[in-house]
Amino acid sequence: MRESFFGFNVAVRGLYTAQRNLDIINHNVNNVNTPGYSRQQAVQTASRPISIYNGTGMVGSGSEVIGIERVRDEYLDIKYWSESVSYGEWEAKKALLSDMEVTFNEPSDSGFNTILDEFFSSLQELAKDPASEAIRTLVSERGVTVAKYFNSLATHFEELQIDVNDRIETKVSEINSIGAQIQQLNRQIYSAELDGNTANDLRDQRTLLVDKLSKIINIDANEVVVGKLLNGNEDKRFVITISGKAFIDHFSLSKLAVTQRSSKLNPDEDVPNLYDVGWEDGNKLVIRGGELKGYIDIRDGNEGENGSPVYAGIPTYIKKLNQFVQTFARAFNEGYIDYDNDGVLEDGTGHADGYGKGGTTTGVRFFTMLGEENKAVSSADFIDGEITIAGIADRYSNITAKNFSVSKDILDDFNKIATSDTIGEVGNIVNINKLIELRTNTQMFAEGAPEDFMKSVITSLGIDSQQAIRISANQAAIVKQIENRKLSDSGVSIDEEMANLIKHQQAYGAAAQMVNAMAEIYDILINRVGV
Amino acid sequence: MRITNNMLVNNMIYYVGNNLSRMESYQSKLATGKKISVPSDDPVVAARALKLRTDVSQVKQHKTNVQDALSWLEITESALSNVGAILQRARELAVQGSSSTATADDTKKIEQEVAQLRQQLIGIGNSTYAGRYIFSGFKTDTKLMNDDGTFAIGVDGDESIIFEIGISDNINVNVLGGDLFNNGGIATATSKGQLIQNMDDFLAALNTGDHNLISNAIANIDDDMNNLLRIRANVGARYNRLEMTSDRLDSDEINFTTLMSENEDVDQAQNIMLLKSEENVYKASLSGGARVIQTSLVDFLS
Repeated sequence: MRESFFGFNVAVRGLYTAQRNLDIINHNVNNVNTPGYSRQQAVQTASRPISIYNGTGMVGSGSEVIGIERVRDEYLDIKYWSESVSYGEWEAKKALLSDMEVTFNEPSDSGFNTILDEFFSSLQELAKDPASEAIRTLVSERGVTVAKYFNSLATHFEELQIDVNDRIETKVSEINSIGAQIQQLNRQIYSAELDGNTANDLRDQRTLLVDKLSKIINIDANEVVVGKLLNGNEDKRFVITISGKAFIDHFSLSKLAVTQRSSKLNPDEDVPNLYDVGWEDGNKLVIRGGELKGYIDIRDGNEGENGSPVYAGIPTYIKKLNQFVQTFARAFNEGYIDYDNDGVLEDGTGHADGYGKGGTTTGVRFFTMLGEENKAVSSADFIDGEITIAGIADRYSNITAKNFSVSKDILDDFNKIATSDTIGEVGNIVNINKLIELRTNTQMFAEGAPEDFMKSVITSLGIDSQQAIRISANQAAIVKQIENRKLSDSGVSIDEEMANLIKHQQAYGAAAQMVNAMAEIYDILINRVGV
Repeated sequence: MRITNNMLVNNMIYYVGNNLSRMESYQSKLATGKKISVPSDDPVVAARALKLRTDVSQVKQHKTNVQDALSWLEITESALSNVGAILQRARELAVQGSSSTATADDTKKIEQEVAQLRQQLIGIGNSTYAGRYIFSGFKTDTKLMNDDGTFAIGVDGDESIIFEIGISDNINVNVLGGDLFNNGGIATATSKGQLIQNMDDFLAALNTGDHNLISNAIANIDDDMNNLLRIRANVGARYNRLEMTSDRLDSDEINFTTLMSENEDVDQAQNIMLLKSEENVYKASLSGGARVIQTSLVDFLS
């Protein structure tokens, strides 16, 4: 005996199945350009067949859609997160290093080389005509240019450090905001999935947020199974940890926070009040990667000194600039150079050993520093009564690239530029000739002459920058490749969807036709049979 | 591999972007003529560029120093040549005066001329170059000699004015007053140098008209001339050395400039070829990409 309207039911199921499929195609086509979206597929099966009593077999009862799943290879997500962290770090470094590189403005006709060159040229001219007031003014002006060059470099680096510090703060609040969104999604996904469904679109959104997070900081993201739900499904909780400590654990979020440092990390190089990044609950945070690490390495990196990151960042270059101006000023003013490399300075001839035009005393320093109200300090105030080599040399640790200046004595009276080694001999150029020789004095720095030192600074920055460019390009390629694989797996293909559209459209049409056929059958049965 | 529409679009953006950035690099090389614009483009080239710039600028500075040293020595040489002419004339006069035929009247006349020559010598002792006294050692703002022929200032043997004409290569450009006027000795303030003293002795001899004394002056003047010759030979040798240095610096400048150009300048012909080829790649990638991303099955469904 057969159910009367069995055929209708089967046909209607066909209509439903086709419609559900069309809905899914519709959704896929809609989201073809949605970031992070993974295409969805109907899980379609033949519905439960009916056994026939007399043993003739089982009769099929049509089809049904029993689930909608997203097509996603979660291994690729994990792979993406682990590569994206390094991509973020080197992208950040690349941008900042190229900014630092431009500051030096080398090789060009207006960078350090040219400036130092013009300074020494003016000294050479003065040696040829030591009485000339015009040339003395020139020397003083060119000295000011050298000082100003270092002032502006140092200022630029400080501004960059402040700027990076602000970026760090922004990134930390971005991390917290992403965290809050993920926390929200965790709630939605968990409650949506309690009955065994998969919250496809919500999961896509969450993965996209984790993608973003993985570029900013090193994370480990996992779904941890903690037990079974009442209905037998696995109870899964989504956990993100940063360097071992949970950032997000299911519904709870542990935020990051910035705090102003009470004391500088690099006492001689840093600007005050930089931020430390830590956990809001006061725990220490170790940052191993991501943009945040890139920023911190550049902002704090002092080649490991003072417990700073082992990277040549802004403090390293400020340190090098300070070292340059201190050593150069010391050699130029006093003639102190460590000739035998024993760490103790030897006294040579410097500016302070000579006499100016019409001058009767020695002891005038050409370079000192800016003091109160940004006014140049005089030689006497600068040396502050010290008379021993060690004592005087120690005074030079007060000079920084930021406050480097031509001394007040020289600025006030260019006749004090010490050309002579004897009182009252205007044509005596013994002293200035000694100063000129300093330019090629290869023992002034461990790296060699002044220009060699700066060359090594600029070149090592160039090499670091080149390294950052290369690594970030490699990482970009890797990340891009993983993205492509993700798109290949999970992306929507219009062609495919259109083909499926036609397929299901046809199926729908056919099912509808079945309804018609059934209707005709019943028409015959009801209206014509036995009438 | 399954290909999706967004893959096509992303790849197109990525590759077109890469092509464009390569084009940009060739274009900037074309515009600047330099291989590198920042050190990270090629740190090795950058380091060499910095070194060569220093070398070129130093050579240029040394060239101007050599020119200045040459003019200083030219002025000195012309002063010395005047001294030579004066001594020559003085010797002629001494020979005339020492002749037994010279009358007292003649020696008086000679005396007048020699007195003039003596004044000229003092004038030469106070010659200047660009306002600086060239024989005054380091005291270039002070006259070497008083009008009476005594030294106005002391000039020690170590008052050589040294110009740098190369790295660790220096030259002394001045002749010290004592060397010339005191027969290789030093000049002491208020004392009289040998040269002037000899003139004074000569004048005194002329005044007395004593032929023997006058003929003594010939020997003295010969001594003075020998001293002068020694100095002139020395100045000439320095002048020669400067000229050779100048030639060497000229060729150094050319060499360093060539090296600098080889190091950092772009081979434009090659660069333009590369730019052209890159342009083709770029256009091809655009047109290929544009075609691929436009079409889908939608276009063929009716």
